Amino acid sequence: MSDRSQLISTGKPFQYDQERDAEFERLIKRYPTRESMILPSLWLIQEQEGWISQEAIAYVADRIGTFASKVYEAVTFYTMYQLHPMGRHHICVCRTLSCWLRGKQEIIDYLKDEIGIIPGQIDEDGRFSLEEVECLGHCGTAPVVQVNGEFHEDMNVDKLKALLATLK
Amino acid sequence: MADTINLFVNGVEVEVEAGKNLIDAIGAVGIEIPHLCYHPALGADGNCRMCLVGIEDGRPPLVPACKTPAQAGMKVLLDAAHIKKIQRDVMELELINHPTDCPICDQAGECKLQDYYMTYGRPESRMTVPQVQKSKKLDFGCGVVHDQERCVTCGRCVRFCREITKTGELGIINRTDAARVNIFPGRPLNNRYALNVVDLCPVGAMTSRDFRFKQRVWFLKKAPGICHGCAKGCNITIEHNREKYQDDLIYRFRPRLNLQVNGYFMCDAGRLSYRQENEGRLLEARLNSQIRPLEDVLAAYNQEIERAEKIAILLSPNCSLEQMVAVKALATKLQASLSGFSAGYIQQGDGDGFLIEDDKSANRAGLTLLGIDCTQEHFEKAVQETQLLINFNNDLSRSYAEHELKKLLKDTKVIFATSHDDSLATMADIAIPVAASSEYAGSLINCNNILQTFTGAVSKNHKPADIGELAAKLGSPLQNRAEQFAELRIYLSVLKDFEADTVPAEGLNLNDSEAANVTA
Repeated sequence: MSDRSQLISTGKPFQYDQERDAEFERLIKRYPTRESMILPSLWLIQEQEGWISQEAIAYVADRIGTFASKVYEAVTFYTMYQLHPMGRHHICVCRTLSCWLRGKQEIIDYLKDEIGIIPGQIDEDGRFSLEEVECLGHCGTAPVVQVNGEFHEDMNVDKLKALLATLK
Repeated sequence: MADTINLFVNGVEVEVEAGKNLIDAIGAVGIEIPHLCYHPALGADGNCRMCLVGIEDGRPPLVPACKTPAQAGMKVLLDAAHIKKIQRDVMELELINHPTDCPICDQAGECKLQDYYMTYGRPESRMTVPQVQKSKKLDFGCGVVHDQERCVTCGRCVRFCREITKTGELGIINRTDAARVNIFPGRPLNNRYALNVVDLCPVGAMTSRDFRFKQRVWFLKKAPGICHGCAKGCNITIEHNREKYQDDLIYRFRPRLNLQVNGYFMCDAGRLSYRQENEGRLLEARLNSQIRPLEDVLAAYNQEIERAEKIAILLSPNCSLEQMVAVKALATKLQASLSGFSAGYIQQGDGDGFLIEDDKSANRAGLTLLGIDCTQEHFEKAVQETQLLINFNNDLSRSYAEHELKKLLKDTKVIFATSHDDSLATMADIAIPVAASSEYAGSLINCNNILQTFTGAVSKNHKPADIGELAAKLGSPLQNRAEQFAELRIYLSVLKDFEADTVPAEGLNLNDSEAANVTA
């Protein structure tokens, strides 16, 4: 586990756009307490901005009416929340047992050596960012790669090449 | 006495109080169950696993004692080999990433990690990989400095801010071995009780900027006291030390448990009020701004008393009950009018309903009990009618602006018995040093009508008299504390069963006694 406590400040106040604002109000009715809204509201930020800034955390804490420290706890606990800007296309490669045994390292090596992106980083032109993640639950079709939330199963280097070519 | 139950600890039957968890119940009879995260004011969290014990009744092999209520007939196992192994393993785990910088750590000497390491195992480090590095000397605000590497993530500080002050500034950030306590950027500690997290921290992760590196704790002498910062009268431990060739100085106040008054905590302002006991003191008697031996000054006092036709005496609302009766007896003897005017000690709206009161004086209820007039009209009338005012440590600058005070006292000679060398002492014709609240024994009645006694902790080099002794020197018929205490029984019949040193440590709740007539 690495330290995720360093937040990035944009220097600008955060606000949900109209669509997420409505979604926030729709979701909050579902839960018995407003604090239950911490995780969904963080997803909404990530959906809107691609990552979660310090201002955005303060915004949802104040909007939910909870302590900023509690939202800070949640956002640093779960690695699925991105705390710095991502590439236009965010690639997650599963690194848990089945995927590891069935060749996830070849995929990582290809991305590193051929495309020049290292896990946890963005490439130079901001096109791709790469992350190794824990089990995505598709062990039967390992190795699995997730691009912008979409699953691509039974992956190998050739299929990955073709896939990357479609992403601008 | 609350209900008791009998249970067995390591096969030995013990009688404990019912309705408590195992740590508190068994701890009260002197058997320690080690724990880091549990604190009676914050409840059981169960995260540190140091208090795991065995219960021989078919439940899981180990249960956390903090979350297990004591029950009659329970067979608690503390000294079995597998429990000792757990304690040793937890110690080893806590110490994996601990910097072990005890020689420069303020907590050394009162550190749970040190104590438990010595008591429960002394594991050798088996680690061959580098330790996880975290941030040090983080400024959390309110004078709290945090060292993330020393932290055992017990979460006491986090729970204090969420449950007690309800300000929630702290959180545990990250997970696993990267977990650490932190504030949200730009939202530091901002409450009036923040320094309690320093006491709550079982290790040296939370330190007070005020106390850091000032004194090793084993040099500090501890004495029970009462905070004079406001009418609440929080129980404190006065921790002081006389370094070689130096004066006896107080290094910190820490809250002392009294469930009837302040519980486990105290406010930051009260905690830091120890500085006033150390600083700005009047050390020598002065006559017309000249330093003179006390005998000369007392002779001058006697001349003034002879000369004055009418005398006014002013008492501080911080004086102890003993001092008040001594001064009252003096006033009766001198036929002086006695006032307790001290409106400036009250800061309207400053109280918070928890431990901070509007009234920044420790014993206003005492003035009321003795029937001493505290109105402004009475005081000003008394001053205008007389040529001599004897002021017993009442800080009039709280009630008047300087020009108002000069105007009020322009035709009046002022004898000021004062603990501090302030502007009033400079203005006074005669200034006599007296003891501050940490230097004498006495009793106080707090805002909730609870009478508490305290003993003198500090012994200054200049050995100032306390106001009771001084009043005796100035002619009060009550010559010592025993006589003063006996006089108090006239006002408080409940005291007939007690001597000054036998009042119960938790105080006497005067609301319970039929003699209570304090809040008239």
